[in-house]
Amino acid sequence: MTVGINEYLYLSAILFAIGFFGVLLRKNTLVIYMCLELMLVASTVALVAFSHFNQTMDGNVFVFFILTVAAAEVAVGLAIIVALFRRRQTIQVEELNALKN
Amino acid sequence: MINSVFGYSPLLIALVTLLTPLASAVVIALFLRRAGGIASLVSTLTAAVVAAGGLSLAFSGARFGVNELQQAEWLHLGSFTLSLGIKFDDLSALMISIVGVVGLCVHVFSLGYMHDDEAKARYFGGLSIFMFSMLGIVLADNLFMIFIFWELVGFSSYVLINHYHQKQSAADASKKAFIANRVGDFGFLLGIIACYYAFGTVNLTEIGTVAAGGVSANVIALLLFCGAVGKSAQVPLHVWLPDAMEGPTPVSALIHAATMVAAGIFMLCRIEPLFAASPIALDVVTWIGAATALYAALCAITQSDIKKVLAYSTLSQLGYMVAAFGLGRLDVVPEGASGSLTFITAGAGAAMFHLTTHAFFKALMFLGSGSVIHGCHHEQNIFKMGGLWKKMPLTFITFTLGVLAIIGMPGLAGFFSKDAILYLAMENNTPVFVILAISAVLTAFYMVRLWKLVFIGAPRSDEASHAHEGGISMTLPLIVLAVLSVVGGWATIFGGKLSIYGDKFAQIFSQIPEAHGADHMTILIVSIIVMTLGAGAALLFYKSESTDTLAAKAPTAFCSLNCLQGSFDTIYNGYVAKVQQPFAKALDLTERILISGLIIRGLAGVTGLVGLGARALHTGSLHTYVYWFLGGAAILWAFAGGWIN
Repeated sequence: MTVGINEYLYLSAILFAIGFFGVLLRKNTLVIYMCLELMLVASTVALVAFSHFNQTMDGNVFVFFILTVAAAEVAVGLAIIVALFRRRQTIQVEELNALKN
Repeated sequence: MINSVFGYSPLLIALVTLLTPLASAVVIALFLRRAGGIASLVSTLTAAVVAAGGLSLAFSGARFGVNELQQAEWLHLGSFTLSLGIKFDDLSALMISIVGVVGLCVHVFSLGYMHDDEAKARYFGGLSIFMFSMLGIVLADNLFMIFIFWELVGFSSYVLINHYHQKQSAADASKKAFIANRVGDFGFLLGIIACYYAFGTVNLTEIGTVAAGGVSANVIALLLFCGAVGKSAQVPLHVWLPDAMEGPTPVSALIHAATMVAAGIFMLCRIEPLFAASPIALDVVTWIGAATALYAALCAITQSDIKKVLAYSTLSQLGYMVAAFGLGRLDVVPEGASGSLTFITAGAGAAMFHLTTHAFFKALMFLGSGSVIHGCHHEQNIFKMGGLWKKMPLTFITFTLGVLAIIGMPGLAGFFSKDAILYLAMENNTPVFVILAISAVLTAFYMVRLWKLVFIGAPRSDEASHAHEGGISMTLPLIVLAVLSVVGGWATIFGGKLSIYGDKFAQIFSQIPEAHGADHMTILIVSIIVMTLGAGAALLFYKSESTDTLAAKAPTAFCSLNCLQGSFDTIYNGYVAKVQQPFAKALDLTERILISGLIIRGLAGVTGLVGLGARALHTGSLHTYVYWFLGGAAILWAFAGGWIN
């Protein structure tokens, strides 16, 4: 069997869906955060696939940017989660409802 | 045409005369509020400048702004231009002389009368701003400018009536004066606007030109007359003047007797070309004047407050002037001759003549009453006075001259001006003549009653038995005004040879109606009968007692006169309580329901509801936010895909 663009896109869609439902359903902030990263990675898979099949470098360049931004985001996000844990002694989302009212 | 007075241009002198009191008022208001002594000197000095400036202008014969306009543009509103200008003809020359002389007398008198007052600075500042406003009316060359100063006069009158503002009655009186004047001023303003609409100008000279073409302007003339009804306190807006006696007595002399209330008459004479062609308006003016003259004379009979008697007497005399204005003049101007600017149909001559003499003798009597009140330690009830002729001889003599002048003793000022009006009435309108003659009888009656109760007999209270004459600053003005009350009427007798006015006010005094031959005898006899009847009755009837003889002997008549006096106030109070108050309440309710209820609270309610809904979206749960995000993304997707337009 040949691996064409469709297979890459299926993989990307499946990964994205896993990430998305993870964000929707999981309660642990850390897990939600990892699921967010999974969605980013899923989109980079699609971009690399497009880049490969179109014989252009656009997608690859995009991926570099996304990875850079994601790395920065992780640094900030993890720091926030650690700080949150220190203050509240929990990272379960249902207990982090200070925005209510 | 005189181009210089003492080497200065007349316009400059007029401006200095006008602006000095304003400067004085400003200086007093800004720097001298705690320095009453200096403030009183500044203000009195200003009054002296005004008197000097006014008299030198009037008697040097300088007249300007009549044929050529002396004005400066002040305000542009589209095609409408508001100018400030000066018109100085014989009429304003006469008026400025009266204001200057009486004003100076009152200022000097106030130095003594208000010597121990705590708020002397405010009082003298008020006098200065009043002088400024009054001079503005006198010099103004268009109706808008008159209106501006008209309102300023109302303001200064408010300040001065309210001088003893700790007293509730004084505060109420000043409010009443202001409101009653507003009613008249509303009509006045409408009249000015109507005048501008109809003629395209509010300049007095130009109105004269337009009106000389024979334009009938009954409505405009009557609307403008409303202003005079308010300011000159004619029925039915007269209610404020008796109450205005709450102010210090010199104020009553200056404002509520001699000058401000005369502004209404002056204004009528200013616009008399308009009236000349409006017979209906003239009739209304005549009857309102006659009604005021009779009504106020009746009211004066029962008063026990010395100032109230004089106030009603002022009302009555103002009624005389208004009636005289309305009566017109003796010879009708022929049709063809109406093109000339100087044609005069209304009785401005008689009205202004009586205004002049009245200003002198009424200011004299008010200052005299001030002297009496001061001497009796602020006792104003005439039944607690008596026998003052011995204690206060100078006040007695001058006051007596004033009384003789007002009741028309031959030879004194009031005799000539009252005769002129009575003669005019006799020739032109018999019913009005009868009313005015009856008022003259009543005038003699209540003035002699006042005079007898205050000065004759024995003192009826401690205050009266310890009365004393005031200082020089209070007696000097009385003497000056007493002399003027005697000679002020000699304007036209012996061909004007004895006249203190010279021939300077020929335009006015040539209009005074004069009886000749048999008519002269008739009017003289009528006038003397009227005077002796009233004065004799009062002399015989009233005893020097501490109760009103009329109330004791004829209680019914006394009560009905009292009811008559209070009738207007009762009607107005009833109107306010029964009509105006429910109407205001209905308006208030509508406002509560419609504006603050529906519009303001309604808007707030809608905003609140939206807020409530938006708040419900914030659950605080991260997952809910993700769902909202998902929903948003779905809608965006739908837009992008073209499924929703």
